Amino acid sequence: MNRKLTRRSVTAGLALGALVSPGWGIGLARAQTKTVKIAMIAPLSGPWARQGQLLRMGSDMAVDDINSQGGIKALGGAKIEIIYADAGDSTEKAKNAAQRLLSDHPDLVGGSGAWLSSFTLAVTEVTERAQLPWLTLSYSDAITNRGFKFVFQTSPTADWQAAETLPTAIKLAEAATGKRPKTIGIIQDNTASPVSFGKQLREGGGLDKVGLKPVVDQIFTPPLSDATPLVDKVRSAKPDFLMLLTSAMPDCKLVLEKLDEFKLSKGKVPLVGNGAPFGSPELLKTIGPELLEGLLFSVANWPMKGQEEFIERFKKRTGEPFLTQDGLCGYGDVAILKEALELAGAADKLKVAEAIRTMNLTTGPAAQSFPGPIKFDDKGRRQDVPMIFAQWQKGVPVTVFPTELALAKPFWPSV
Amino acid sequence: MRTRAEAGRQRWAILGFAVAILVLSFVVLKSAYYQLVLTQVLLWAVLSLAWNLLSGYSGYFSFGHAVFWGLGAYTVALGMLYLDLTPWISVPFAALVGAVAGAIIGYPTFRLRGHYFALAMLAYPLATLYVFQWLGYQELALPMKREAPLLYMQFEDPRAYVVLALGLVVAALLISLKVENSRFGMALLAIKQNEPAAEAAGINTWRWKMLALMLSGAIASIAGGLYGVVLLVITPETVFGMLVSAQALILALFGGVGSLWGPVIGAMLLVPLAEGLNAELGDVLPGIQGVVYGIAIIMIILWAPEGVYWRVLDRFSRRAPAPNTPETAVAGIAVNVAPLPRAPAPLGGSLLVLRDVGISFGGLRALDGIDLAIPEGGLYGIIGPNGAGKTTLFNVINGFLAPDRGAINFSGEPITGLRPSQICRRGVGRTFQVVRAFPRMTVLENVIVGAFVGAPDDATARQMALAALDRVGLSAQSSAVAGGLTTRELRLMELARALVPHPRLMLLDETLAGLAHDDLDGILTVIRQLRADGITVVIIEHTMQAMVKLVDHFTVLDHGRLIASGKPDDVVRDPSVIEAYLGKKWVDRVAVSAK
Repeated sequence: MNRKLTRRSVTAGLALGALVSPGWGIGLARAQTKTVKIAMIAPLSGPWARQGQLLRMGSDMAVDDINSQGGIKALGGAKIEIIYADAGDSTEKAKNAAQRLLSDHPDLVGGSGAWLSSFTLAVTEVTERAQLPWLTLSYSDAITNRGFKFVFQTSPTADWQAAETLPTAIKLAEAATGKRPKTIGIIQDNTASPVSFGKQLREGGGLDKVGLKPVVDQIFTPPLSDATPLVDKVRSAKPDFLMLLTSAMPDCKLVLEKLDEFKLSKGKVPLVGNGAPFGSPELLKTIGPELLEGLLFSVANWPMKGQEEFIERFKKRTGEPFLTQDGLCGYGDVAILKEALELAGAADKLKVAEAIRTMNLTTGPAAQSFPGPIKFDDKGRRQDVPMIFAQWQKGVPVTVFPTELALAKPFWPSV
Repeated sequence: MRTRAEAGRQRWAILGFAVAILVLSFVVLKSAYYQLVLTQVLLWAVLSLAWNLLSGYSGYFSFGHAVFWGLGAYTVALGMLYLDLTPWISVPFAALVGAVAGAIIGYPTFRLRGHYFALAMLAYPLATLYVFQWLGYQELALPMKREAPLLYMQFEDPRAYVVLALGLVVAALLISLKVENSRFGMALLAIKQNEPAAEAAGINTWRWKMLALMLSGAIASIAGGLYGVVLLVITPETVFGMLVSAQALILALFGGVGSLWGPVIGAMLLVPLAEGLNAELGDVLPGIQGVVYGIAIIMIILWAPEGVYWRVLDRFSRRAPAPNTPETAVAGIAVNVAPLPRAPAPLGGSLLVLRDVGISFGGLRALDGIDLAIPEGGLYGIIGPNGAGKTTLFNVINGFLAPDRGAINFSGEPITGLRPSQICRRGVGRTFQVVRAFPRMTVLENVIVGAFVGAPDDATARQMALAALDRVGLSAQSSAVAGGLTTRELRLMELARALVPHPRLMLLDETLAGLAHDDLDGILTVIRQLRADGITVVIIEHTMQAMVKLVDHFTVLDHGRLIASGKPDDVVRDPSVIEAYLGKKWVDRVAVSAK
């Protein structure tokens, strides 16, 4: 080759390419005759990439399951095709991803995403205007507070979880020890979901209702550099249990290690958290099973009784140590869309949306993927959902409440 | 400063750009997605233009423009959520918020310079981010207004946002153009090149910097406000985050910092590139888009370190320096020296009087009990070995440093403690040890900067600058780019800049340093001519040779003290002077040889 590829020509080409790139939609030319397209937007790069990947593992598995079992029967065995878009690390990228999906694929019939509440808020601003039914596991109340008609929240909202977590924790404590806890400690960061959770406890009457007295109440701005002052307060006040609301793993690790250092771990002060990150494999890797043993956390969705075979299949397929909320919801959302397509009997987004609004599923893969029936109210929130509690037991977070869905018996860590 | 015709051409270019964007939006691009990306391109371009207005022109790099962007976005979101305020009102109002924020931020931060300023600016968005988190505004969603969407800037047609964003870009470009073509822009450019020199040339640097930051903040805020309307969901991280500040900076640096079109070029290239990579690679190889983006930026910066705009301009325009042969230029000086614009002042009487002036830096007494009376109309030399306090003396006279004690009178008026620009306005001009030219500006433009002090309008400033160039014999080079000048020409140019407001006293700081013998004669001719024109000249040198031939009166400084003063021939024989320069041994030797 005579022509020298100079740095200049490469850069010029790159710059030019950016200018004239005629619609960056060259992928996905594998259109088949009978497919129905659904979408998933998830953070596949950036700080939340891992969660996005877990979601994707679940949804990929669901698509494979559906297609290998004969596709959508009501549509003559049509296969499901799932299109992924990266929400990246900002609301702007998430919104762009949604707009791009809709522009490139006007034939979408539904979708799911985008994990982080603020991403979901931005994405649904686009999907709502396009009247595309959209499922999400995000917790924020704002998602279904906007009067949107095409957004369906499969997780119980953050406020509801905040209201339900404490009464359930107290029930667990009473059942295990015969004593009702009287005092609570709260350590939280000031990011979106802990703040709304904490607000419900303090201003929303969450503490008063269950008669708990907050003897430690600390809010910090992540990242935490030293947990000593926080944990020192716990040591002197000795609450009956400690509510830990952190959203970043390093902060969580610092608090747990400091508790151990102050001899408050291993149940001296029982720990209760909220949210799926408290059950992530990464937490196990960084903190280790010993410090985690006994840690309870409330969560929207967690592997339950009746899913044993599914859990094993997921672990085998992905190599993950255990199934979590993200993989489960990724699977479940696709399953819900599939059921909606069966009910609608047409690859039409308006009919799919209507089918989701009216569905009431108690059996089948979709219903099995979530606690409680798949039934949405006017706002797009699921009805009759129980609060799930999981607990770290011997290095695995297992569902311990409600009893009928539990895979293990809970224990209230005590001295 | 551009000529009127050039400014006119730029206005046509802006109009052409607007038409091109409208064609792109209404004719070429069909999907809502491309319209959304185009809107973002334009909004980021506005932010980058705002950044460029401050940092590109004045050289005060801001790592914190996200603070304005975020305040704009939150103004709109909070206005809509809590006051039901339509963005039609809150977006323009955001400009006011940005300007006020600029004033509040600028007041303490402009005490810092260089890297310290840049790092201090970094703190504002980060601090504000936490404030908004603490206030509980972690996630704000602008409510969907189904009943009156137009009243709340919620359009069905995405092209409406393109038009709004384009309006902002055009406004920002016109403002930038206006600034570039006025003394505002020249003042900022002068600050960028050498702030002390600008201040010494009579420019009130504090005022212009504050104005620039306020204007920049207003523009960034209004764009942030519209960004909030477009995105509909606002979190502190998205609008105050480090990435926003970086975006403003990267786009301008990439496109061409300090140029009108640089930020727009940067946004037009990088924003679609990033988004395109995200779309193409985001689901295939997540994260690789960031790598490719980074590599593209690095390669282009290697290829065009000053930005795409300047690189392309250098390549296609013939902005070669005007031909100048040293011989003709030197020969021309004597004849070219223009007649004095006013009558020479009579000799005698002290123009500048220093009484017991002293200043210390920590334990070092840089100046100690200086008493000096400089008569009007002479050529006065101050010499001394390195570190004797010569430049410090000049800095005290022209206001860079306030003396710890003592008093300075100029023309019978006390000037102790005044700002350099105020002292300049009273008739004290100065040059510097190291000439700092504005390399991309022409010689004439370089000199015009000095003319703003005395000129009521820009046209007069131009006339005065031309006259000053004529006086130093640089007329032939007036349209040459300063970057191509020789040391001698640079010295003359700086001299012209100091001469332009007709000073009564000129302080020349080592003007002769680093010049070849032939060049020296040319400069000496000009300096003598200044004296002949009635300007009092004080010149600093540390080499005696050239000075002995030149000056009427010598003052010798050593360790911050006056050690000798008098006629040049007498001073060079003074034992204390010889000791200061050569050491004790030489004093003895000179004494022996004199016998």
